[in-house]
Amino acid sequence: MSEKDVLSVKDVSKTFQVKAGEVNAVDSVSFTAGKGEVTAVVGPSGSGKTTLLYVIGSLEEPESGEIEVAGHDILDPGADLVQYRRESVGFVFQFFNLIPTLTALENVMLPMDIAGVPVDDQDRRASELLEKMGIEGRLLRARTNKISGGESQRVAIARALANDPDVILADEPTGNLDTATGKTVVEILSKLAHENGKCVLMVTHDESILDVSDRAFHMTDGRLSEIHA
Amino acid sequence: MRSFHRGFRSFRRNYARNLILIVLLFVCLTFSMSMLAVKLAADNQVQTIKQTVGNYGEIKISSDYQMKRFEAERQKTAAERAAEARSMTTEQEFADRVANLVPEKLTDQFSGGRYIKTYDKVLETNITVPGLTNTNMQQLFQMRESGPQEQNAGPSGSRMNQNSFSFQGNTNGASASDFTTGAKKLVEGKFFTYADYKNANPVVVIEKNLAEDNELKVGDTVEAQVSGQTGTNSLLGLKIIGVYETVEAERQSQSSSSQTANFNPAGNAFYAPLSVVQKLSSTPGYVELGSYYFDSVGDTTALKATFKTETKGTSSKYQFATDQSDYQAIADPLLKARNTSVIGLAGALGACALIILLAMFIIVSGRTRELGVLKAIGSTDRQVIVQYAFEVLFICLVAIILAMGVTALIGQSMGNWLLPKSQKTTASQQSSTQGGPMRMFDQNRLYKAGGRFSMGASSQKQQAAKLNVVYRGSLFLYGILILLGISLVGMAIPVFWIIRLRPARVLSME
Repeated sequence: MSEKDVLSVKDVSKTFQVKAGEVNAVDSVSFTAGKGEVTAVVGPSGSGKTTLLYVIGSLEEPESGEIEVAGHDILDPGADLVQYRRESVGFVFQFFNLIPTLTALENVMLPMDIAGVPVDDQDRRASELLEKMGIEGRLLRARTNKISGGESQRVAIARALANDPDVILADEPTGNLDTATGKTVVEILSKLAHENGKCVLMVTHDESILDVSDRAFHMTDGRLSEIHA
Repeated sequence: MRSFHRGFRSFRRNYARNLILIVLLFVCLTFSMSMLAVKLAADNQVQTIKQTVGNYGEIKISSDYQMKRFEAERQKTAAERAAEARSMTTEQEFADRVANLVPEKLTDQFSGGRYIKTYDKVLETNITVPGLTNTNMQQLFQMRESGPQEQNAGPSGSRMNQNSFSFQGNTNGASASDFTTGAKKLVEGKFFTYADYKNANPVVVIEKNLAEDNELKVGDTVEAQVSGQTGTNSLLGLKIIGVYETVEAERQSQSSSSQTANFNPAGNAFYAPLSVVQKLSSTPGYVELGSYYFDSVGDTTALKATFKTETKGTSSKYQFATDQSDYQAIADPLLKARNTSVIGLAGALGACALIILLAMFIIVSGRTRELGVLKAIGSTDRQVIVQYAFEVLFICLVAIILAMGVTALIGQSMGNWLLPKSQKTTASQQSSTQGGPMRMFDQNRLYKAGGRFSMGASSQKQQAAKLNVVYRGSLFLYGILILLGISLVGMAIPVFWIIRLRPARVLSME
């Protein structure tokens, strides 16, 4: 792991029990991802990309391996995973996963509220983040079930950035968007890495993302292989 | 505080779904609170009744014993009775006079029991007052026209004539039942006291009309004949210390015709210290009854057992009569209404629990993605649980506030709805126990009910016939408890769901 690397995954495996037997969703995966870089993992559906992302995000527990994020070993039994999810990583999902009864602004404020940030600071920061994402004016106060897919995904990215995490984990961020909107979202994520110094890890089946990625991997049947430009 | 705010926001934003739940809970809670209000009202009224009814008993000669004596006397011919009377020694005469009385020793002994709160002794007998005419008796004798001027009557065998008056003795004039029931009230002078009883002071309280007709006033003296004695020493001077009015008789006399103007049935009763009446009737050491107030109706069984022990060997001669049946007649409808309300309350609360459980199951299962998101962005289980707890609490709070408001409006109707069904029995019991004017001669009538012109018992029953469902503080407290209970039950599903939920399972779902 170089000094630039924020994320290091080493020999991580995750299996699931299904009716037919055991499935190796993630099979001895090792890679690193650096600060200010976009790392892309591409592969067909069911190849284990989302599982890998959830393992890194501590939403799934692997059977073996080592994961280090910003110097913290998240598989250490004493690791505070709730705090890790709150402060070190931000998630962007294919289906946005915004809370529909809340406004765009409130959705972005929510992680800060949970983290105990004062309400005034929440409001100011959420407005700034949404403004950067191009969500302004009446859209700020609109319920997220009333806005478009592209707008929803931009709100989701703003929410992922709310507590200023080191790593953004994006799961098929363009999967539910049209091509043009998807391109905009990818550009935003790319900017976050290249201009704001975030480590962006994107998993997708959309190989066009490879164009903006600094590192790229291909995943098949749980195994990861690096794609060299 | 943040969880509170988030919970409130979620409650407010999910208004359509929450409204349905609030309406369902409101219906069940209104029923629950109404039933609770009825229960509390019934409990309260029963407690009040317990303070005045069911806590009274008296030791007196049993009706069985009196019947046996009466039957034995009836078997004898007039000649046999006359011969028997002539041949009686002084001791036998005394024994005959007190045959229908209770030894004071027995009543005193019983008063030492731990449940007894107050105690009185009563002796009522007919005494001749030579200077006064009993208009009541006069009319009776006139109606019999050629009938004898004297006849045998009364438990103590006293002779009755136109100068006979009923003398009621007890240990304290103010506690005589006719005055405690409100049938009679002192209008002048004072009552005799316990000291008068102890010192056997010859004082008396007489009726207002009798006093006016005979131009008697407080401070005057009337002379009464000591039973069984003759000569100048047979008269006892009684100083009038008080004048009473018979409330109902006064009312009746105001509307009566002129031909009955001299007829004063209320005026034939004198009230004097027990020791004085004992002296006048020549029955020292004997009373008609011992009257007792105890803590509550619950002590009746224990007191009856004590009575049985203390009268061992003579238990068939004496009886311990209580007003337990009066208590049952008054309290039973209330207790039945209470029991029905408890069943209703349990059912309605069960329905509330079921509704909130099912509703929360539907709500939480529809919001698993939200739960997953909250966990993924760093909420602890506790934070999510508290947020949902507040949301449930707000739902229940709104429902219970509405329910309490409506309960205030319909509580009385619910009480009326529950009471009449169980009240029919009381009405029939009432009519069967209030046998008109002859009731005063009823052996089962208790001293506490007062004599003629007493209205106490019936008015008490009328009062109890209505269940007064009033909004009381305890209902509010129970409402808060129900609110917390329902909210806790409602939280069971979210807590279970939140703890078991794995965000990774729900976040990838479309």
